[in-house]
Amino acid sequence: MARAQKNSGSQSSLRQANSERLLDAIRQFGSITQVEIAQATGLSPATVSGIVKDLLAAGIVETRHTIRSGRRAQMVTLAHKTGLLVGLHVTERSLRVAVADSRFEFLERRVLPLPDDHRHDTTLDRAAVMVAELVDGLGSGLTEVLGIGIGVPAPVDPATGAISVAGILRGWEGIPLGEVLGRRLGVPVTVDNDANLGALGEVRFGAGRGISNLLYIRASHGVGSGVIVEGAIHHGHRGLAGEIGHALVDPQGPICRCGSRGCLITVCGSHALVDSLRQSHGPLTLADVLTYAEQGDPGCQQVVMDAGAAIGLVAANAAVAVGPSVVLMGGELAAAGDLLMAPIEEAMRRRVPVSQAPAVEVRANQLGEDAELYGALAVAADLSPATGNAPEVSL
Amino acid sequence: MSTPNDGARMATEPLLHARHISKNFGAVQALVDVDIEVSPHEVVALVGDNAAGKSTLARVIAGVYAPDGGTLRIDGKPLPSHTTRGARSAGIATVFQGLALSENLDVTANIFLGQEIIEHGLLDEEAMESMARDFLKNLNARIPSPRTPLANLTAGQRQCVAIARTLVGKPKLIVLDEPTSSLSISQTAEVLTYISQLRSMGLGVLIISHNLTDIRAVADRIEVLRHGRNNGSFVASDVRYEDIIAAITGAPSGR
Repeated sequence: MARAQKNSGSQSSLRQANSERLLDAIRQFGSITQVEIAQATGLSPATVSGIVKDLLAAGIVETRHTIRSGRRAQMVTLAHKTGLLVGLHVTERSLRVAVADSRFEFLERRVLPLPDDHRHDTTLDRAAVMVAELVDGLGSGLTEVLGIGIGVPAPVDPATGAISVAGILRGWEGIPLGEVLGRRLGVPVTVDNDANLGALGEVRFGAGRGISNLLYIRASHGVGSGVIVEGAIHHGHRGLAGEIGHALVDPQGPICRCGSRGCLITVCGSHALVDSLRQSHGPLTLADVLTYAEQGDPGCQQVVMDAGAAIGLVAANAAVAVGPSVVLMGGELAAAGDLLMAPIEEAMRRRVPVSQAPAVEVRANQLGEDAELYGALAVAADLSPATGNAPEVSL
Repeated sequence: MSTPNDGARMATEPLLHARHISKNFGAVQALVDVDIEVSPHEVVALVGDNAAGKSTLARVIAGVYAPDGGTLRIDGKPLPSHTTRGARSAGIATVFQGLALSENLDVTANIFLGQEIIEHGLLDEEAMESMARDFLKNLNARIPSPRTPLANLTAGQRQCVAIARTLVGKPKLIVLDEPTSSLSISQTAEVLTYISQLRSMGLGVLIISHNLTDIRAVADRIEVLRHGRNNGSFVASDVRYEDIIAAITGAPSGR
């Protein structure tokens, strides 16, 4: 137990360090028995039992009896007395789910890979079953869920809670997503555009804290943005504000799935990126392109830089239109770092009004792939008057 | 592993190269002239109706059955023998539906069952445990400890142990027979993530499944078998459900 000894300045600091390790194990596995905690942390069963007793008395964890290998066992979970929040993020190629307590601490988190053009009925059905399963796994019931927030990669009309533009997430337009899921689970549900939720997540919990005018760009399989104006999400008519994936970049370009010509995503959506490498590199996925670019493959780097230049052009125009002080980049492409960011910064510099001091800053987001889930949890919390931790942004 | 410059990868021979595979059981023609290829860093899905020959083909590739006709090459070389041992030594690892795990052993013991590391005539428990820990980490597994008894694991975690077990022999190709059948949705999410991890480790993966949604989510290519014959090959990112279903059932395509 070399690690434990290093911390053993005193009896109490040792206990403190041990209880941190124990809480880490509970956070990682959601619910875990005391015997498994001992195995996962390397602490003795007696120590685990003692610390769990203290944490239970302090209201930090909850325990219940269960059966493991035919023996009685003590199942330990983080306490969430004030109810649960659920965040769902439907993307073009995955369903991301987070279950959190009312302090926005993730208790469970899952990513289900989905096919291209996945269907709304199948995906919503799987989302409902997944939520019920994860909540059940925490030893709770759906009655403890205060609210569910869903993010989707298309404009959502705030008045109806349905996707308002056809062709962007094919087959999903007009479906009352909140109603369908709410009826299934008996829980209030709210729906918004995923980039809007990413912006909100960053404003409340990440790199956007204290920034009242922000443009958050989510560059993934598609591209979208969330616009924060004077501290609030700006939805616009039918929720269309910030739908920069369908801004014009090439008047001679191909027809987009939305029906117009030369949209940003026809140049830098995942299909466009992968297609431009098909001749030279064979069939790749978006994740492959990013991995190879990081490993130094010149073709893949080129494709990411060109995507950055195209996004930068639109971002600079959007900055002139809405006046953010900071542009935050999120989504899978943001993980490419400078390869993507440098051409965006370059494009912003060329737009003189945007580049005058103090210039609009371009930064990577802080919450990474989870920004949209945090935003979904935040809007879920706002559904219930009982919670909501010092909201800095009102919807 | 996967090299950044993959221009070369396209030109080389595929990892698994099966040509004109036939297998009969008495009067039953289980496989007739079947071709299949899997490249490194590629997930190929094998779909088809019941009794289309999917599991038979998986068993031929795994060395359980010797084919009655055809050739099976891995990395350009024929299999040393049509036995499970021959397939394993050539770099083919298979997870069958039954998983064949042992309830009364822990995770590490299950991973190394039958392929234990022996040092000076004794089991090297420490080496096995640390390797088991690495396998689980590479797969992003949600298993608390490599010493957890198998009896405590969910169906999804068991599937992960079965996949981790295939990694012991440093395989090139992993064959998974119905990896998500009888799993709950959150367990399916985990297993699909493991499959993507195997792909990014540079391995070739052949999955057999009924669930077209799961398959289209993780596969690069979809191969359809019908009555023991090839009945269509699709690039997963371009194909519609309707076309796959038409190939499975033999209906004319809706296009």
